[in-house]
Amino acid sequence: MTEKNHFDGINYADDFKSASGQLPGADIAWLKELRQKSIDDFIKVGIPGPKVEEWKYSNLNALKSGSFKTGLEKSSASDAAGIADIKGSKVVFVDGFYNSVQSEIKNQQGVTLQSLNEFVKSNPEKAQALIDGQAQDNSLRNLNLALMTGGFVLIVDEGVKLAEPIQIIHVVTSPAADKSLRLRNLIHIGKNASAQIIEDYSGAQDVNCWSQNVTTAKLDENATLEMYQFQDQGNETIHMSETLVDVLENANFKHYSLNVGAAMSRTEIKPTLKGENGNVELSGAFLARGGNAHDVFTHMKHMMPQCDSDQNYRGVLDKGGKSAFQGKVYVAKDAQLTNADQSNKNLILDRNAEANSKPELLIYADDVKCSHGATVGELDSEALFYLKSRGLDTLSAKALLVEAFVAEVYQDIEIGAVKEKYLALAREWLAHNE
Amino acid sequence: MLEIKNLHVEVGGKEILKGLNLTINSGEVHAIMGPNGAGKSTLSYAICGKDGYEITDGTVTFNGKDLLELEANERAGEGIFLGLQYPVEIPGVSNLNFLKAALNSLRKYRGEEEIAAVDFLKLIRAKAAELEMDPEMLKRAVNVGFSGGEKKRNEMVQMALLDPIFSVLDETDSGLDIDALRIVADGINRMRSPKKAILVITHYQRLLDYVVPDFVHVLADGKIVKSGDKSLAIKLEQDGYSGLGINETAA
Repeated sequence: MTEKNHFDGINYADDFKSASGQLPGADIAWLKELRQKSIDDFIKVGIPGPKVEEWKYSNLNALKSGSFKTGLEKSSASDAAGIADIKGSKVVFVDGFYNSVQSEIKNQQGVTLQSLNEFVKSNPEKAQALIDGQAQDNSLRNLNLALMTGGFVLIVDEGVKLAEPIQIIHVVTSPAADKSLRLRNLIHIGKNASAQIIEDYSGAQDVNCWSQNVTTAKLDENATLEMYQFQDQGNETIHMSETLVDVLENANFKHYSLNVGAAMSRTEIKPTLKGENGNVELSGAFLARGGNAHDVFTHMKHMMPQCDSDQNYRGVLDKGGKSAFQGKVYVAKDAQLTNADQSNKNLILDRNAEANSKPELLIYADDVKCSHGATVGELDSEALFYLKSRGLDTLSAKALLVEAFVAEVYQDIEIGAVKEKYLALAREWLAHNE
Repeated sequence: MLEIKNLHVEVGGKEILKGLNLTINSGEVHAIMGPNGAGKSTLSYAICGKDGYEITDGTVTFNGKDLLELEANERAGEGIFLGLQYPVEIPGVSNLNFLKAALNSLRKYRGEEEIAAVDFLKLIRAKAAELEMDPEMLKRAVNVGFSGGEKKRNEMVQMALLDPIFSVLDETDSGLDIDALRIVADGINRMRSPKKAILVITHYQRLLDYVVPDFVHVLADGKIVKSGDKSLAIKLEQDGYSGLGINETAA
C-alpha cells in the first residue's frame, strides 16, 4: 500500500533485502532493527509524486522503478582537493563512502569529528541516541536511514569554538553509475560552542546516479553553526540534500548554498526554532540552464517567541533552465514577536526558462512581523549598454551583472575563500554555457 | 577624426535625427546645444551604438572606420567614450571591479595584456585623486547611492582612466552645483589634446564658460541648423532658441 499520490516504494524492498547484510553496522542489533523499521515505513508511504504539493516542481518519476541500487563497493580515491586556503579538517566521501586516505582529521580538544560508521562502533549509545531521536515522518528520509552507507558526525562540546572550518567533500566517480548514494550526517553543537562546515558536492559527467543525503543538527543554547553548501554535481545526477536543524535559545544558524550542477537538485532546509531569541539566516543562489532543474525547499518553524528568521534566495535561469523556490514559514500560536522574512528574486536570461516561486506562510500567533516577496525579471538593458559602452563585450557584461545579482546573497560571508569561490563561479557560469 | 554624413536615426519607429552632418577633427572641442527633444541624446547614443537606435540612412566614420558596423564595446575599443546624462546604478558590482573589467576589455580589444592588479590600483587611485574623488567610493557599488554630482564625477574618473581618443559628453553638466560643474569641466579639459577630440552636448551655456569650445552647433528638429564659434553659445544664452527662430516647445 502506498499513500495517495505517491509512487509505489515496493521496488526498493529487493534492494534492501540484498543490501542489508552488507550495509555498515549490519551486525549491530539496534541499527539493524532501525533500518528494517525505516524501510517498512518508507514502503507504506512510497515516493512522493508530482501531485504531492511539496514535490510539484520536482518530478521523481525516474526513481519509481527502483533502478538505482545501493552502491556497496568503495571506489578508489579521486580528485577531492576542496578549498586549498582552508586549513581545517577534511572529510572526503567518494561514491557515498568515507575515504580515510583522502580525509584529514585534525584533532581539537572538545571536538569529535568522525565517520558515522566508526562513531557507531566506538560510541554506540550516543550514536543510538542521536539517530533514534530523529523525526521519522518523511518517507525519503526513512529510505535514507534504511540504506545509508555512512556519513559524518560532528560534536562540538560546550564552550568550544571550532578552530578552523571543516570541509566535507563529496565526489562522485564513474563506478557510481546507476547507483544510489546515501549518507546520514549528525551534528551537535554544544552550549556556547560554534562551528563552520563547508560542504562541497562535485561529480563526474554522464554518471546517472541518485545522491541522497540527510543531515540533522542540534544547536544548544547560544550555539552557532554556519553551513556552506556548494553543489556542482554531474549532469546526470539526481541530487538531494535535506538538512534538519533544531535551534535552541539564543542559538544562531546560518546556511549558505549555491546550486549549479546536477540534472535535478533538491535542497531542503528545515530549521525549527525551539528556544527564545534564536536566529536563522538562509541564503542561497541557484543557476540553471538546459538540463538543470533546481528546487530549494525551506521549512522554517517558529515554535518559540522572539526569534528571527531571514531567507534570501536568488535564481538565474538561462535557456532551458528550470527552478523552484518553495519557502514555508510556520509560526506557532505561542511564537509571539517573531520576525520572519523571505525573499526570492529570479533573473531570466532567456524566454525559454522557468522560475517558480511559492511562499507559504502559516501564522498562528497574532503579534508577529512576517514578510515575503518574489520577483522574476530580465537583465537591465540600460546597465548592459553602460557596461558595453565602457568596453565590455556582451558576454562579459552579462556575466558581471549575473555575478552582481548573485553577490547580494553572499555579501556577508566571512570566509573569504568561500565567498570568492561562489562569486567566481557565478561570474564564469555564463561563459561555460556556450 | 569623426565624420557624420546625412545621419537619419529612428527610435521606436519615430524619426529623431533627420539628416545630420558633422565633422570633428583632432584637437577640436565641439559643443552641440539645442532645445529639449531636438535629438541631442539620440546623436550621442547613435555614435556610441546603443540598441534601439536604428540608423535608417547616412554614415558615421571614425578615423576612416565605419562605426555603424561595430558593437558598442568595439566602438569603445576604437577609443570612443560616452559620458552619460544619467549614469546607471549597478548594484552588486564594485566600482573598482567595474573599472578594472572595463580597462582590461579595452586592452584586450587592442591586443594588449591585462594590467597587473597593483598597477591598476596605483593608476585608479591617481586618477581618483586628480578628480578629487574619495577613494572609498571606488569600493562602493557603481553609482549606487551616489549623488548627482558624485555620479558625474565618477564618469570623469572613468574617462580619465580609459583615456579615450574621442569623448562624447551628453549633458554631463545637468543638475550640478557650481563645485561639481568645476570638477566636470576640469575632467573634460584634462582630455584636451592635439590628438584627441571632444563633443560636449549641453542644454545650457554655463559649462562652456569652463570648457571653451572651438565650434558650437545648434541642433533643432534632428538637424544642425546653425554653426559658429563660442559667441554663438553666448548669443543663445542671451536671446534663447527663439532668437534663432527655433520654437522650443514644437521641437
